[in-house]
Amino acid sequence: MAMTPRATTQDVIDVLRYDPPKQRSDLRQTWAVFVANLKIFLSYKTWVATETVTTLSSIAMFYFFSFLVNPERLEEAGYGSSYLGFALIGVASTNYLWMCINRLSHSMSHEVREGTFETVISSPIRLRSYVVGIAIRGFLVSCYFMAGAFAMGIALKAPLILNPGTISSAILLVLLLISSHLGIGVMAAGVILVYKKGDPLTFLFTGLTEFFGGVLFPLQLLQNYPLAWAFAWVLPYTHALNGLRKVLLLGETVFSPSVATSAGVLVAYSVVLLPLSLLFFRWGYNRIRKEGSTTTY
Amino acid sequence: MAKAIEIKDVTKVFTSKEEGKKKVLRAVDGVSLSLEYGEFVGLLGPNGAGKTTLIKILGTLILPTDGTAKVAGYDVVKEPDKARSSFGWLHGETGGRALYWRLTALDNLKFYASLHNVPPDVAKKRIDVLLDFFDLVEDKDKMVKDFSTGMKVRVMLARSLLANPPILLMDEPTVGLDPITADETRRLLISLNRDLGKTILFTSHNMLEVEKLCHRVAIMHKGRLIADGSPALLSKLHRETEGIILEVEATLQLERVRKVLESLPRVEGILNAQETEGSYIFQLAVDDEREALYELPGELKRAGITLTSISRSKPSLEEVFLRLTRK
Repeated sequence: MAMTPRATTQDVIDVLRYDPPKQRSDLRQTWAVFVANLKIFLSYKTWVATETVTTLSSIAMFYFFSFLVNPERLEEAGYGSSYLGFALIGVASTNYLWMCINRLSHSMSHEVREGTFETVISSPIRLRSYVVGIAIRGFLVSCYFMAGAFAMGIALKAPLILNPGTISSAILLVLLLISSHLGIGVMAAGVILVYKKGDPLTFLFTGLTEFFGGVLFPLQLLQNYPLAWAFAWVLPYTHALNGLRKVLLLGETVFSPSVATSAGVLVAYSVVLLPLSLLFFRWGYNRIRKEGSTTTY
Repeated sequence: MAKAIEIKDVTKVFTSKEEGKKKVLRAVDGVSLSLEYGEFVGLLGPNGAGKTTLIKILGTLILPTDGTAKVAGYDVVKEPDKARSSFGWLHGETGGRALYWRLTALDNLKFYASLHNVPPDVAKKRIDVLLDFFDLVEDKDKMVKDFSTGMKVRVMLARSLLANPPILLMDEPTVGLDPITADETRRLLISLNRDLGKTILFTSHNMLEVEKLCHRVAIMHKGRLIADGSPALLSKLHRETEGIILEVEATLQLERVRKVLESLPRVEGILNAQETEGSYIFQLAVDDEREALYELPGELKRAGITLTSISRSKPSLEEVFLRLTRK
């Protein structure tokens, strides 16, 4: 390729001569990470399309599945009598779970493999801005899938109770779901930075969380299995799902005792896990700098 | 005033396990090297010499096992954030891997400018000029994944200059570029150094390039710094013998001239002899260059040999490099 630069060396020198002081802006850096990640995500058009179809078809599947479920058993569990509504909330919220635990760590391990992680960490960005930037992208993408799932559910006449009180309570619970699970995801990212391969573990953890969280069946069915029952209520996701269902299927708000308890548990997990996860992530980050493995081939 | 780059006794030891056995590699072994502001220094060494590890230590990507390294006066371990604001880095070894391949060239540059806190209006002007300079205007909205190696290098070069840092870490910046772009890049680096006072640490396997660009050359081998000085000084210091190059008219047979030369008292041996059109060129090892330059013309004249030219032989940087790294 013959290069005939229109701008000359002198033009470059001139444009660099004007050098006003730089001002650190965490917000701008976070925004830049978010925008770059969103553009990369949207460049995988086929993935976005197939994932959309998969989410919508799973809702349609539960619509037909709901005809097989005994509404009385569901009512005994305290979540109303519509299995479609019950499963819809489970399926719609799992995207946040996957976003927090899997996609965040997957994005980072992808950056390590691609060599772009070095670009980021050799710049003056704060690690938390980088993590939050990626998380915001995941949050918005999950919102897209949740909105799609709800739209499909409403079209299929899922009995969701939507009013200002339940909608604002649901938004609050979703934010708490994210903050309580983001810590787990950031810790997983720290582990994956060091050991490079951690996806199977995060998949296993997310799969178990989905099962014990009661995405597709009421947890009351586990009451005869004390260990499983106890384990299920240790998971923050169980509390998030319980709260969301109480709000959207029964019309409760965060001020009702059972939802407030769920929200309180999620706040406690967030307060403990988020700072801990940043420390953990920093440990992984320093470990790879010590090992010289900030990029892999 | 702090030095632009100050490396003191830096050692980096990597440990790994292979077949259950602990393996220790001293990638960098007690290296000390300083660069004053405005210096243009070439860091040379064969593959595996430790150059990239040393640059990654300066780039805060690898923590040294021992010793201290400072960039713009900031310790890369204790004050990494401040150090990171002081350098621009071309990740040469990765061949464009350090770019986001699923972003456009323009988006890559905008992203990098934001990471480095370049004000948006300033970033826009710089991006426009740098895209133009590196002939990327037409392709700026294409994804980097569709770029050739040379185009990726050009994006990375533009990116390394965007934040206008005082120090540039250039890891093989001309690899993958076509000759014209490589030449333009060299001119730009010279100008950045001369006109804006940029300190440049530059690695390359192209010795002619290093000789042309760099004020100083540091050579690494097996993790150690084995030479440090100007290209001219290194050539002088690392000559194996005193040498003379002379050209004579080919009026006598080559063997006859060779015998005459070998019989001369100052000549210790003939290192090389070439026959060209109408003349012979000899590279001689002599015991004293200065005396040989003075005495040889008269002795050749007495032997009936017509001298065309005589000069000291100076080994190229490449010869120096090969000598040092083959020891």
